[in-house]
Amino acid sequence: MTEPDDRRIDAEFPALADLLRTDRRAVLKVMAASMALAGLPGCGPAPETVAARGRGVPGHTPGAPLVFATSLTLDGYGTGVLVRSDEGHPTKIEGNPLHPASLGATDAFTQAGILTFHDPDRSRAARLDGQPQPAQRFERALAQVADEVTARGGEGLRILTGPTSSPSLAGLLADLLGRLPNARWHQHAPLGPDNRREGARLVFGDALETRHDLVRASVIVTLDADILGPGPHQVAYARGFAAGRREPEAGPKTNMNRLYAIESTPGATGARADRRLALPPSAIAAFAHRLAVRLGVAEGEAGSDPLLDTMAADLRVAGPGALVVAGRHLPAETHALAHAVNHALGAVGTTVHHTGPVLAGPWDESASLEVLAADMAAGAVSHLVILDSNPAYTAPGDLGFADLLATVPFTLHLGLWADETAALCRWHAPMAHALESWGDARAWDGTVGLMQPVAAPRHGRRTPQEVAAALAGRPAAARELVRERFQGDDAAWRQALHDGVVPDTALPSRAVAPAPGWRPAPPPAGAGGLEVVFAPDPSVWDGCFANNAWLQELPKPLSKMVWDNAILLAPATAAALDLENGAVAALTLGSRTLRGPVWTLPGHAADTVTLPLGYGRWSAGRVGTAVGFDAYRLRRADAPWLAAGAELRATGERHALATTQRHATMAGRDIVRTAPPVPREPPAQEPPPSIYPDYAYAGPAWGMAVDLNACVGCNACVTACQAENNVPVVGRAEVARGREMHWLRIDRYFEDQQTLFQPMLCMHCEKAPCEVVCPVNATVHDAEGLNVMVYNRCVGTRYCSNNCPYKVRRFNWFDYAQDDGVPAEAANPEVTVRVRGVMEKCTYCIQRIATARIRAKLENRPIADGEVVTACQQVCPSGAIVFGDVNDPDSAVSRRKRSPRNYALLGELNTRPRTTYLARIDNPPAGEEA
Amino acid sequence: MAALPHHEAGAIVLEQRFGWRWAAGFAAALGGVLVLAVACAGLFVWGVGVWGTNVPYVWAFDIINYVWWIGIANAASLLAAALVLRGARWRTSINRFAEAAALFAVLCAGLFPILHLGRPWLFHWVFPYPATFEVWPQFRSPLVWDFFAILTHIVVTALFWYVGLIPDLAALRDRARTRRGQVVFGALALGWRGSARHWLNHQKAYRILAALVVPLVVFMQSTVSFEFAVTVVPDWHRARFAPYFVVSGLLSGLAMVLVVALLVRTLLGLHELVTRRHIDIIAKLLLANAVVMAWSYGFEGFVAWQAGEHAWHSALEKVTGPFAPLTWGAMLGTVGAAQALWFARVRRSAPALIAVGVLVNAGVWLDRLVIVVGGLYRDHLPSSWGTYGPTWWEAGLLAGTIGLFCALMLLFVRFVPAISMFETHAEHGGPGVRPGVRP
Repeated sequence: MTEPDDRRIDAEFPALADLLRTDRRAVLKVMAASMALAGLPGCGPAPETVAARGRGVPGHTPGAPLVFATSLTLDGYGTGVLVRSDEGHPTKIEGNPLHPASLGATDAFTQAGILTFHDPDRSRAARLDGQPQPAQRFERALAQVADEVTARGGEGLRILTGPTSSPSLAGLLADLLGRLPNARWHQHAPLGPDNRREGARLVFGDALETRHDLVRASVIVTLDADILGPGPHQVAYARGFAAGRREPEAGPKTNMNRLYAIESTPGATGARADRRLALPPSAIAAFAHRLAVRLGVAEGEAGSDPLLDTMAADLRVAGPGALVVAGRHLPAETHALAHAVNHALGAVGTTVHHTGPVLAGPWDESASLEVLAADMAAGAVSHLVILDSNPAYTAPGDLGFADLLATVPFTLHLGLWADETAALCRWHAPMAHALESWGDARAWDGTVGLMQPVAAPRHGRRTPQEVAAALAGRPAAARELVRERFQGDDAAWRQALHDGVVPDTALPSRAVAPAPGWRPAPPPAGAGGLEVVFAPDPSVWDGCFANNAWLQELPKPLSKMVWDNAILLAPATAAALDLENGAVAALTLGSRTLRGPVWTLPGHAADTVTLPLGYGRWSAGRVGTAVGFDAYRLRRADAPWLAAGAELRATGERHALATTQRHATMAGRDIVRTAPPVPREPPAQEPPPSIYPDYAYAGPAWGMAVDLNACVGCNACVTACQAENNVPVVGRAEVARGREMHWLRIDRYFEDQQTLFQPMLCMHCEKAPCEVVCPVNATVHDAEGLNVMVYNRCVGTRYCSNNCPYKVRRFNWFDYAQDDGVPAEAANPEVTVRVRGVMEKCTYCIQRIATARIRAKLENRPIADGEVVTACQQVCPSGAIVFGDVNDPDSAVSRRKRSPRNYALLGELNTRPRTTYLARIDNPPAGEEA
Repeated sequence: MAALPHHEAGAIVLEQRFGWRWAAGFAAALGGVLVLAVACAGLFVWGVGVWGTNVPYVWAFDIINYVWWIGIANAASLLAAALVLRGARWRTSINRFAEAAALFAVLCAGLFPILHLGRPWLFHWVFPYPATFEVWPQFRSPLVWDFFAILTHIVVTALFWYVGLIPDLAALRDRARTRRGQVVFGALALGWRGSARHWLNHQKAYRILAALVVPLVVFMQSTVSFEFAVTVVPDWHRARFAPYFVVSGLLSGLAMVLVVALLVRTLLGLHELVTRRHIDIIAKLLLANAVVMAWSYGFEGFVAWQAGEHAWHSALEKVTGPFAPLTWGAMLGTVGAAQALWFARVRRSAPALIAVGVLVNAGVWLDRLVIVVGGLYRDHLPSSWGTYGPTWWEAGLLAGTIGLFCALMLLFVRFVPAISMFETHAEHGGPGVRPGVRP
């Protein structure tokens, strides 16, 4: 039977879009309407189709997944991905090995893209003043606006976009501005401005993009720059950093990189640093200046500081292998210093590359949001078209942007959700998600990646390109708009679609030299009082992921907090203010006050608070609305990143914050091991005897090795595991009760000055304690060494969890899979969805093992090494996880397990875990060896 | 004792008038049963998530209650069996309701292994039966051992109790005034006629069962301890758990029998049959047990001190950390409260004895809590250390099973000879009620 085309239903009954949350009556109504409208597919133009290969394609097995190469974006930067589609539903995102921003891995945000795509709260109707409208009516309105503004040469028309690198959108907007010279394009990046570019303009005279090659870096100094933390560059930088620390199999690494991190807010970079120093942001600028003085780039007071001396000496020795990175929120002058230092050390061309801008945009002062706001206040704006941006929420609080929106006669918002901005605009139109769009995006190095739809856009969803074209009076299909700007013939187009990458489009490095007139600015005076840092949140970023339950429940790498943001501060600062975790404090900055719970983070700079952005949304959807506090309200347009002179006081109230790890230290136990760069001989260990006989393995015996020296705690594996294995979301209250369901978690320990990460998943013990205590044989050892969980057999005694020393087993206390709001289409069809009352845990991605086994059997050969890749391994940007056959002495995992750093966690229990760890290597500066 | 009127024992059982006190007690107990029903309904509708359990504390009230009730059942059985075997003269008045208490306690205990499951409707998968897929239980799992232990316990306790009841059931049959009573008691009396051969066989069977019960309850109680002792949880992995569970279980069982005996004595007016001497002896036994328990706690500390740094820290945290009030409560309840029994005046005062009995039972319950929940407080990986707080649903299970136990006891004293009539008669030397012989 043909399914009634929802496009036509939307056209006839747009109000059905609001019937998403259905009760029984609504279901019956919709069913009746479906019956009545079943004939509608016969009329109207044929919709664009996306190949799903349902049946009847020769050589294709019905039910087998298809893989599409496309791109997703973060802050405008593209990441190439391979999307797996099962029966037309995108179910899993993997990195595209051909794409420079991915190289086969992704970050956690990209992994969670599947859930955003399937988000039932996504807008599904155009709206006029909040009322759903037929798509045709919106198209007519758009055409009418195009006529109106064309007549005036674009006078009064303003287009506001988020950060974008799309060549096609940039081209369309350039065309539009060419036709309508009085119109203007404004850009608003919630996590902007990026002071790096301004720093480059100061020192080199040109606002250049800067990218780093961490593979070639031997000494890295980060100045409040979380290069290993989340962001568009994370995958590439984490990979480069790990490469610079990886030991060759032959023996110890002699030229291991060394990382110095100066941080205000603890981040992944500080956690992996060999030497870390916490300083308030104002002091970091001064610190940078003193470093520049030592390196002869700046003049002034050098002061006495052994750490600075060591760093400067190290950087000098490294020369071209040196790298100094400043954080995006530091002043442009500090960036200028960092650029100049890199240049002076000869690092430009090796570890540092300057290129033309990757992001497309109107690069002049008049393009900013402030100018737009001023024009709106002056009444100079008659038509405001907002494409993929949510300024009502993300604009700095002092602009009062939400109020200004109401003064503009015609406002149009194109977005994935009917969000805060949509609520204040006259028109809202649903935007197509990247997985249902034709489009393009540049990677951090400028390489263009194409977007192609994995599923057809529904409910009249359209791309920004389509809206831009319609505004220009030349409406066209999204595919044509991208295709016509693609340079190449059909064969090249098809190849680019297949690969996901347009070859040779990376931006070339530019030779730079400090402008002759440049003089480093004197160090800024120390700020007084409590300093405030605004920072993107590692889980919801700038707020665009607020409605993604996987990311809301993703423990933040350092605090392990979920479903909330908090005012982050140092334990000492909190103690001085008589605040403890979960106490609600009032933070006053200027005339504005914000209330939020505080959370202490060891290693946070003193007298500084960090306000994570992205929370406190009031119209995000069912998941993200009213979670946490909104720090954008405190931001000022002229100083969006840093502020000083804040006042923090306790209110006496408490807010229950949920965390997945309640104990911060290792309590003196041997859990995460660290090793010096040149390892000592490992103690030869024979496993203690066991009363049960050993298993014999004729075929493969699976095992895993996790290199703690590579792990940067980025959480990509956690989300990948969740997406691959249909791990349910349980919500804040259940996490607070200790019932999170993640099969893979990253334990974080604060030890002395160190922050240690340890991914924890089922160890698949050879002598598994869980197996012997299950009364019904629901968890058993299989012929390939896996400890398998038979959900159907489980009666839920939970005894296995009691006897699991690693506590990696998760129990379905409620019917989480049914109740978590994650739509069934988002589920991996190859993995059982677990019911209430059964235990579950990591399976080593047994479905992937089975797929490989079947393929190998069909081809009559053994499973090759590297053929089975677990979801966590595949996504890991730093290659920390290696999986394979430990029965094969030549497999990658066997080779890695022969490292002297290899150890079994809690090996003294004689569980003989198949997942083993490689000790983390610390590379402290000379003279500081432990 | 000699002053006891001959017909009294039979009269108490057969002609006792149950006034408002019984009705009020039964109503209260039924209220408890209702709480149990609600707690179970919520559990079945929403799942075990209604409890406060989590990872790592996957067990809480469910297993605490189970261990507590099974300890009471075991100790009450042991007492009854020991009395039969010893041939103690004063057993006759005590051991029938000790047996009943054991049976009802094991019924209460037996609920929990089913209720605590994530999918309780599949509990029969623990049974070793030839299923279609030939999947058998995991015989290495203490939960399977436990299943056998509980089943054996229920069967043997019920048999022990029933065999002891046969002559009295025959007496009830003979005295029944209604046809229905005659049929029911007649069937239950298994054709008892009171011949010498019957008496001989009965005594043999009764004693054999009693002899079976003694090792059984020791095994049973040890099996419960294996649930903890065979794991890798540091605070559970202890060879001394088996005797520890036997001792502490005995304590709670004796306390429960004491409380029940005093309540029954008050309720039924059995001042002459359950004499001060009986009560005194149980109280002294309880005291002796509490001394052993004190030694066990001391030994626990000693071993922790010897077992290395982690064990010692863990033991110190038990008495100083968040579990300290519970640990001290357990010690004060078990060892402390029983110390009052050194004084004869306490042993002669029913309210004081009831207070001691309740305190001891509460202490043993807290002791179970400290083991089941507190044992996971410092597990292997600090990253998983968590917190646990009970919910009303869990508390409802405890209150509910106490209500169920009381309701069953009250029904028992009303409809079944709560005191062994034939033995009392034999002991008191009168003809009295001779089952099989119509008066």
